[in-house]
Amino acid sequence: MRSPLVLAFFLAVAPLGAAVDFDHEIVPLLRKQCGECHTGDKRKGGFSMNTRVSLLEGSENGAVVVPSDVAKSKLLELVASADLDVRMPPKGPGLSPAEVAKLKAWIAEGAVWTSGFAFKQPAYEPPLKPRAPVLPTAQDGREHPLDRVLDAWVKAKQLPRPAVADDATFLRRVHLDLVGVLPTAAENAAFLAERAPDKRAKLVRALLSRDADYADHWMVFWNDLLRNDYAGTGYIDGGRKQITGWLYAALSENKPYDVFVRELIAPTPVSEGFAKGIIWRGSVSAGARPELQFSQSISQTFLGINMKCASCHDSFVDRWKLRDAYGLAAITSNQPLELVRCDIPTGKTAVAAWPFPELGQVDPTKPRTERLQQLAALMTHPENGRLQRTIVNRLWHRLMGRGVVHPVDSMQTEPWNQDLLDVLANRLVESKYDLKAVLEFIATSQAYQSRTETLTRTTDDKGYVYRGPRAKRLTAEQFVDALWRLTGTAPLKVDAAVARTPAGQASMAWQAQPLWSNDKAKGALPPVGETRVFRLRFQVPAGLAKAGCVVSCDNSYELFVNGKTASKGDDWQAPQAFDLTSYLRAGENEFLLVGRNGGNAPNAAAIWLQAFLRDANGKDITIATSRAWEWTAAVPNAKGVLPANATWRPVAVLANPVWATGEPKMAELLAQLSGKGVPSARASLVKSDLLQRSLGRPNREQIVSMRPNELSTLEAIDLANGQAFTDLLGRGAANLLRRPWKSPDDFTQWLYISALCRSPSAAELKVAQEILGPRLNEQGVADLLWAVCMLPEFQTIR
Amino acid sequence: MSLPHGLPLDPALPEPLARREFLRLLAGAGLATLSLGAPKLLGSDDKPVVHPPAKADACILIWLAGGMAAPETFDPKRYAPYEKGLEYKRVLSTFPAINTSVDGVRICQGLESIAQVMDRATLIRSAVQPDLGSILHSRHQFHWHTGYVPPQTVAAPHIGAWMARVLGPRNPVMPAFINIGQRLEGVGESEELKAFTTGGFFGGEYGPMNLPFPEDAAAAVRPPKGMDAGRFVNRDKEFRRLVDATPHRDLLSDYQQESMLRSMDNAYRLLSAKERAAFDLTLEPKEVQQAYDTSRFGRGCLLARRLVENGARFVEVTTEYVPFFQWDTHGKGHDMVSKMHKEIDRPIARLIRDLEARGLLDRTLVVIASEFSRDAMIEGRPGSKAGDQSFHKGTTIENPDHYGLHRHFTGGTSVVMFGGGVGKGKVYGATADERPLVAIKDPVSVEDMHATIFTAMGISPKTAFDIEGRPFYATVDGKGKSANIFG
Repeated sequence: MRSPLVLAFFLAVAPLGAAVDFDHEIVPLLRKQCGECHTGDKRKGGFSMNTRVSLLEGSENGAVVVPSDVAKSKLLELVASADLDVRMPPKGPGLSPAEVAKLKAWIAEGAVWTSGFAFKQPAYEPPLKPRAPVLPTAQDGREHPLDRVLDAWVKAKQLPRPAVADDATFLRRVHLDLVGVLPTAAENAAFLAERAPDKRAKLVRALLSRDADYADHWMVFWNDLLRNDYAGTGYIDGGRKQITGWLYAALSENKPYDVFVRELIAPTPVSEGFAKGIIWRGSVSAGARPELQFSQSISQTFLGINMKCASCHDSFVDRWKLRDAYGLAAITSNQPLELVRCDIPTGKTAVAAWPFPELGQVDPTKPRTERLQQLAALMTHPENGRLQRTIVNRLWHRLMGRGVVHPVDSMQTEPWNQDLLDVLANRLVESKYDLKAVLEFIATSQAYQSRTETLTRTTDDKGYVYRGPRAKRLTAEQFVDALWRLTGTAPLKVDAAVARTPAGQASMAWQAQPLWSNDKAKGALPPVGETRVFRLRFQVPAGLAKAGCVVSCDNSYELFVNGKTASKGDDWQAPQAFDLTSYLRAGENEFLLVGRNGGNAPNAAAIWLQAFLRDANGKDITIATSRAWEWTAAVPNAKGVLPANATWRPVAVLANPVWATGEPKMAELLAQLSGKGVPSARASLVKSDLLQRSLGRPNREQIVSMRPNELSTLEAIDLANGQAFTDLLGRGAANLLRRPWKSPDDFTQWLYISALCRSPSAAELKVAQEILGPRLNEQGVADLLWAVCMLPEFQTIR
Repeated sequence: MSLPHGLPLDPALPEPLARREFLRLLAGAGLATLSLGAPKLLGSDDKPVVHPPAKADACILIWLAGGMAAPETFDPKRYAPYEKGLEYKRVLSTFPAINTSVDGVRICQGLESIAQVMDRATLIRSAVQPDLGSILHSRHQFHWHTGYVPPQTVAAPHIGAWMARVLGPRNPVMPAFINIGQRLEGVGESEELKAFTTGGFFGGEYGPMNLPFPEDAAAAVRPPKGMDAGRFVNRDKEFRRLVDATPHRDLLSDYQQESMLRSMDNAYRLLSAKERAAFDLTLEPKEVQQAYDTSRFGRGCLLARRLVENGARFVEVTTEYVPFFQWDTHGKGHDMVSKMHKEIDRPIARLIRDLEARGLLDRTLVVIASEFSRDAMIEGRPGSKAGDQSFHKGTTIENPDHYGLHRHFTGGTSVVMFGGGVGKGKVYGATADERPLVAIKDPVSVEDMHATIFTAMGISPKTAFDIEGRPFYATVDGKGKSANIFG
């Protein structure tokens, strides 16, 4: 590469006598010629000359300057090269011969550097180990450690202390933040009426003790952060593995965070999905192989380090190097891992290592399992403040709307308040890595309980200034859960394979008996295609709140309720569950079930049906197939109408051990439908759909630590006219209409309390009256529901 | 100007600066740009990006998903008619070549209508794709649509999202990026399709409006089923009154809440604007509807035309990717492609002629492309380790099902471009005349293809956005080079 011309030039330069003046000759020269790419935070090619240490560290390709060794100092070769593809700097006329000579002399003299000099003060390096900040004196009796830090900060900056949020605002905020659902109208009334001075703290603790609600809600955060989902890229061919069951259990039992992290890094089969990453089909770039994904994922999720740049080349933006990324990758790699820079193999083998040797190091000679355990132990080392700060910062961000370090994945940057971050981190450690304890710590502070900051477009233009919590947009899951709960429209089943109820509690007593016609001789079986019609007439009391039904038939059936088709099925092992409420009326009702036998030869046939009718007090009446039913051989027309002369006869109650195996499933469906003993479905546990995507639920191929706070126009279009959303509102309105409202105002009152935690104003009541009309009807209720859901006040957590 | 069969163009299309201002407002700049940053030119922090002058204002990407075999469409080679026992090695094309309106340029039989408009086109015959190991459509489609090989550590934006982000909407009420004809639910590999049919790290504001069924497009901008227009309008009016009646007006000065209301306004504007008629195919004269109506794809072409007439920025219309259907010929290739010829020939030609008749072709770039080509023998490209995915493994053709190009070929394929300043009646690049049919002149990589399209649209291939503290370029590392096909 070195041209003869350059060699000749070097030989021609006379040795220099006088010492080179670093400050006045070398600094301006380096700043002018090299500064743009190799000082400050810039390290093109992995090379920085910002400090003497970084200068001597060299580049990705090895040493650049070797003090007193002109021949080994590649810098001289590069600045003097005649090859413009090689020469540094690549732009401009380059160095003059005199400048090259000066550099050469400086290196020959040992590259003397003024002690402590840096072109730019070195990029911020956050503390690694925990710190114990001295808490400022409490002001006005505000003793909470977080308030002591923040009050002192606010006072020093002569800023106003954020005002306390009112009870209703706090109530809504803390419900959504901790368990993801709105408080009910009853919870609202009880909280506002309570007089205890510590009622807010009590509420925080009560919410955190709702284990199922807590787990349901925090699945959203953790699925995003661990890129776990119930459908998505990679699952199609086993290139990705869910950790759903493990994660849900970990949240339900509030697994200590250090244990949680260890189980993800040195995993068992149930928790290995995160470490495994996504194995993409076909060939991928070196930086995307699973070992490097491991490196990137654990760095980002647990340490707030962006190892993505360094997976390909030494980072240009922070201190992480290719060997850091590969060091972590090599810990999990089964084979020796060759360092590949920008998809070009380097011939060097990665050495298993993690990026904070101050705390100890992984032994690269140990087998993989042991290396992973060592990494897990180092990651959760009590002195690894980085792990602690990263997670508490994420929790602070979720509750307060902005990270102490922000964005939350850039933990290499300076927090706006180091003491605040450390007080939070220390709380995590003191509580033995109890995440709920940290949430309680934050939520019981006056800071959390303050009014949200009013933002303008220019708020952050000059950097962040703390003025209280920031409002957050409802997540897709919070929005959908709110709607489901307000209107009783949650689906029957969730997609996530999680244990939400202790075994056995989910069942509702199954009373339905298998029935068929009583016209068979002993031992004779119904022929193929035999059709029998079964009937029950029953009374429904007034004031029905909800009714549900599970039905099946060996082999196929159509069920008419009061003359309307309510359900059909053709697989007795796939019983159908449906909401019966809208088919029923007060007074006499009729089930008419047309059952048909299938198969290739005569075989056993039966029907099952069980329904519950729930009154406004939550009391259930059960209706099930039994001897009370009748059958006829007459065949109904398509509308389920039988000839007038049909004769009805008593049914036969059957038994069959094969059928008995299907009954637990029917019982479970009924239990889910009834909601008794089974928590209702949560949006976090179902696959993403159009509505959730419209509300910002992400694809989880990449780790997501912050969702967008804005509603986009396309999302707004979906909310204005999306069919699924409209249908949901329609079903919800139908459900709500069945409740005993005294008047349209009564409904509006309930809706505002339930959705916004406040009563409507007189002006709002008036608009609502116009929407609802003088008599409550489905259209009016659906439209008011829509309008309230679209209010920014509803869509944000203030 | 009022147009014969369409809607009047909005005479007040905003100027570029106004457009960007509009978009900035739309995006909620103050907060959104904190994490994204403004476009910046490679290697310079303070200079604004210098875009090339735009040759086109709108782009229609006609996406022939599944691997359109160039030798069966735009790059005919030696024709070997079907006969029992025919050796695969003798098969280069299963369709004979026909003349086009350009002397010396021949394309395949079955594309007679397109042949007549080739004098408006530049035919690129040297597009190449990398070998991504086992050939998987969705990965190559991801690559083609984003310019990046999956997986990426950040969500890569679709090419349409780049246009939406950098250029903004052409008409403020029209979504900038509209995607016609691809179902994203219930088809094979749908999760993989969703991975690139997205605004990526630009966010939802720049993502696609998906219209899988052109005939139902009107419903996407209409009040939902079961709600008449009067109720819809009234509901919105009452909503605004409810917002006004909110007791704590001070809360509404909050920027986040304002930005939510603005999005609601934007949505309502489209749903009530005259432009929404553009989504309704039934407003076209019967004759025109019939001319396009070869299939869902044909209707999609008509919809694309109407949307571009009314100010859409980027429209993709596809024959749809469904594994083993359409262009994805692992068997019965000749018959399947014959059917595809019928689907695409008339609508594409009519689209070009309609755009021309309306004076829109010069400023509309129409691109016909697919993720790769096909060959009767070679999987991937010569030397590839990709597994053979043809259903029939023999060396000879024993029945008509065996007749066709059943292997995925990445060594050379055709892309046709019309309008938008590209040369007329030109051919760019060439493939070999004997197997392997690799590009032998002026190869155009996926990155260079993006650079070419971006250049036509007035976007510098070096445009970069900061994401997670590092630059993400319109073409990988800002290095895509536009093919010299303009003028």
